[in-house]
Amino acid sequence: MILSKEHASTDVALARRVQWPPAVRITALLAPAAIALACCGSDPPRALRPPPGPPTGRIEIHQPERLTSIASDQRDALGRPLRVACVTCHSQRVPTTLPSTVTELDEFHQGLRFEHGALSCGSCHVAGDQRSLRRADGTMIDMRDAMDLCRQCHGPQTRDYDHGSHGGMTGHWDLSVGGRVRNHCVDCHDPHTPAFQPSLPVLPPRDHGITRQPSRGDH
Amino acid sequence: MTTTTSSSPSISYLRFLGRVVVLAFSGTWRFYAWMTVLTAIALVGLNAWGHQLLNGMRVTDLSDHVSWGLYIANFTFGVGLAAGAVMMVIPAYLYDDHDMHDVVIIGELLAISAIVVCLGFIVVDMGRPDRMWHIIPGIGRFHWPVSMLTWDVLVLNGYLLINLHIAGYLMYQRYLGRPPRKRWYLPFVFLSIFWAISIHTVTAFLYQGLGGRPFWNSALLAPRFLATAFISGPAFVIVLLEVVRWSGKLTFGDGPINTLSRIMRVTVLLNLFMLGSELFTALYTGGAHGSAVRYLFFGSHGKHALVPYIWTAVALNVTSAVLLYLPRSRTSKRWLLAACGCAFLGVYLEKGMGLIVPGFVPSTLHETIEYTPTVTEWKVTAGIWALGLLVLTVAIKVGLAVWTGRVREREDGAARSADGAALGAEEEPLRDQHHGT
Amino acid sequence: MSGPNRRVALKVVGATLGAGAFAYAAQPVAQWGAGLSLEETLRRHYKELTPDELAQILRRLEAETKEKYGVDVRIDDIPAQEGVSFGYALNLSICIGCRKCAEACHQENNHDRRTNNSYIRVIEMEQGSFELERGTVDYDHAVPAPGKFYMPVQCHQCDDAPCVKVCPVEATWKEKDGIVVVDYDWCIGCRYCEAACPYHARRFNWREPEIPADEINPDQAYLSNRIRPQGVVEKCTFCLHRTRRGLLPACLEACPTGARVFGNLLDPSSDIRWVLENKRVYVLKEELGTRPRFFYFFDE
Repeated sequence: MILSKEHASTDVALARRVQWPPAVRITALLAPAAIALACCGSDPPRALRPPPGPPTGRIEIHQPERLTSIASDQRDALGRPLRVACVTCHSQRVPTTLPSTVTELDEFHQGLRFEHGALSCGSCHVAGDQRSLRRADGTMIDMRDAMDLCRQCHGPQTRDYDHGSHGGMTGHWDLSVGGRVRNHCVDCHDPHTPAFQPSLPVLPPRDHGITRQPSRGDH
Repeated sequence: MTTTTSSSPSISYLRFLGRVVVLAFSGTWRFYAWMTVLTAIALVGLNAWGHQLLNGMRVTDLSDHVSWGLYIANFTFGVGLAAGAVMMVIPAYLYDDHDMHDVVIIGELLAISAIVVCLGFIVVDMGRPDRMWHIIPGIGRFHWPVSMLTWDVLVLNGYLLINLHIAGYLMYQRYLGRPPRKRWYLPFVFLSIFWAISIHTVTAFLYQGLGGRPFWNSALLAPRFLATAFISGPAFVIVLLEVVRWSGKLTFGDGPINTLSRIMRVTVLLNLFMLGSELFTALYTGGAHGSAVRYLFFGSHGKHALVPYIWTAVALNVTSAVLLYLPRSRTSKRWLLAACGCAFLGVYLEKGMGLIVPGFVPSTLHETIEYTPTVTEWKVTAGIWALGLLVLTVAIKVGLAVWTGRVREREDGAARSADGAALGAEEEPLRDQHHGT
Repeated sequence: MSGPNRRVALKVVGATLGAGAFAYAAQPVAQWGAGLSLEETLRRHYKELTPDELAQILRRLEAETKEKYGVDVRIDDIPAQEGVSFGYALNLSICIGCRKCAEACHQENNHDRRTNNSYIRVIEMEQGSFELERGTVDYDHAVPAPGKFYMPVQCHQCDDAPCVKVCPVEATWKEKDGIVVVDYDWCIGCRYCEAACPYHARRFNWREPEIPADEINPDQAYLSNRIRPQGVVEKCTFCLHRTRRGLLPACLEACPTGARVFGNLLDPSSDIRWVLENKRVYVLKEELGTRPRFFYFFDE
């Protein structure tokens, strides 16, 4: 619509400069105007909805069950590993020392893979208190605030997370409408082996042209 | 329009139309056989198109990667054919070629038939032809002047109307036995020359203006379109003139055919030169911009669907050039016709499958997804060409009957003398308009 | 029988045969025509409709969906919001190529189930090269694969959109909030926009979509995810039926790594603005001058 109007105005300007005879000028004036009118002059203006208000929605961080429970070797009816809450055992069994390597772990913790830099169990865990974690400066934090622990080393990721460009989310972009739930670091990264684990992709393209031709060739 | 015949102009025009219809449906057994075959092919096409409408365009081999194929390829070629017919009008009116003037009506009728073919291919390529009215200026939402497709709608239909007017007016005046008035057709003849160039330029701009398709995004596309149009048009007309001569319905000298083959001698080389220039740019520069050309000529990623088309096209184009430059083609009709056949087919392949499809392969995300027309697409395509030939046959049959004076208002010549008495100041003698300008 | 009589008889027989052949050949065309709704064929352009007419159309479309697919859906017309201009950015450093976004799009937007259609195409590319030609889309190994990176491509909602320019009937246009929409009931199916789009963002309905009733997303909008008719073009609308209600797009919610950032470009405190101002941003085919609203970025 806008383009047609511009067209009309340039034609008018052109007609004035060149000083064409009146008949030509009128035609130059009228023809694009008439077409612009016929094409799109009749649209009723569409009302816009009001702009977003002040942000009132809360940003919550999802609490992964991994922080309060551990997978057992049992499975439920759907084949998912049954999880056992930490307190089930640790309310009675209170270890006084932490193991120095993963091979010393027993019971539920057997077979734990540990690939997280040069950290040791004691870097984060506290002997005798499975609900707390210890920061590098020695202060204790609640297990639910585990992300504070990650923040100590992973500065760039923390910065990106805080600006919504790392870690998934669901909910509202417009916080005046509703809140948002952010993923916890531990939702995607097992603190013991934080590298993102490969998985098979979903929904392979099956569009016309791809299905008939099995592969794109030899590269 | 004044007329001094006993009946009023509208009655006489209706009678003219009635006689045209009768003429269109009567002829020798050869005519009937030819028309029956064409009708049958057209009906097969209609049926295939119906299935395409019902089941969706999945019956074609088109995809979101190659979204235009055989239909648009044929459309593009058809526009060239329509524009190419102007190569009879230019010598006849701009260069005052008297011999060409005698047969120029055939060029105008060819233009009309070719535009019918083009419109047919556009309709079958549409996913929703039921909404065609959306593209009618003033009634639908005509996105003019921004969309090149709206320009194409204007120029194609405009060209159809101009040619219908010129051919219709000249024929009706012949029928009435009166000399046509220059002011009623000459401006349109000059307009049609300009317009013929514009239909093919606009059609080229349709592709040329797309920045996302490097294969088309070349300033050379419009000149190439015109060069190929001025090969396929004259080639078809030469064959058509020979058929007309063979039918004995019109006698004319070799002038027009010589002029047309002279034009072709220029355009075949021009086209090969421009093709070579495109190839050099694409292949010498290399990189992603040349990948469509590499796919077209040599195949890529193990896919070669277009390779046979393009090499056949190149072979035919080179052959036609060689044949046209051999002295034999100036003396032997057979050699000339062979050259025309090669040129016509070569351009058809190069401009159709060889120009439209590689615009899409590789796709904009550089996927190499091929396209091979399905039987349905070929049926529809054959149907539309059959329809075009039907229109052309009827137009030429009727046209020549009127043109040569075999069909006219009064058989006894009374009308002529009556008309002659009423010749106005602006009316030239018949001979004059014939070779006028 | 005399000559002329035989001629006439032959002509009559020929004409009858011809008419019969025509009737037979035209049958599918007639059948197609009978299936069209006059009300739909003759309706005016979306922008010319009064609110009442539009409401009527929405109810008709809901009824048609019920009839055809056997589900109750709600089709709304949701206008753009003042002070909102959408932008989308995608972090190429953390995308793992899992195609969860494509799957979410497939489900959210009621795509044809047979074709796995989605507005997002994820390309697996070689580390150290931005050459699309060396990419693959039908990879089926575990991702992220070593030595590869992944680039999902979807509609870039260009501000100078070639697809909008070329449409001969204004069936596609740019809305105030930057989203390029298609009126599926106005599109004539010429596919010029598909040829013009440099990002493979447009899809054509080569046949009527097929979706099981229990998989249909009933929360639909006129310009967005309502089930499309056969023979028209469709495209990504940044899930306007969600985003114009303040929600995040489905592809973003599905992304397990948070590679996707969506928001209001006019809000200086939005995440999308932070990304555009602080990250190394790359615009795909920027040289074409289409001015996309979709950006790629990298960590360090």
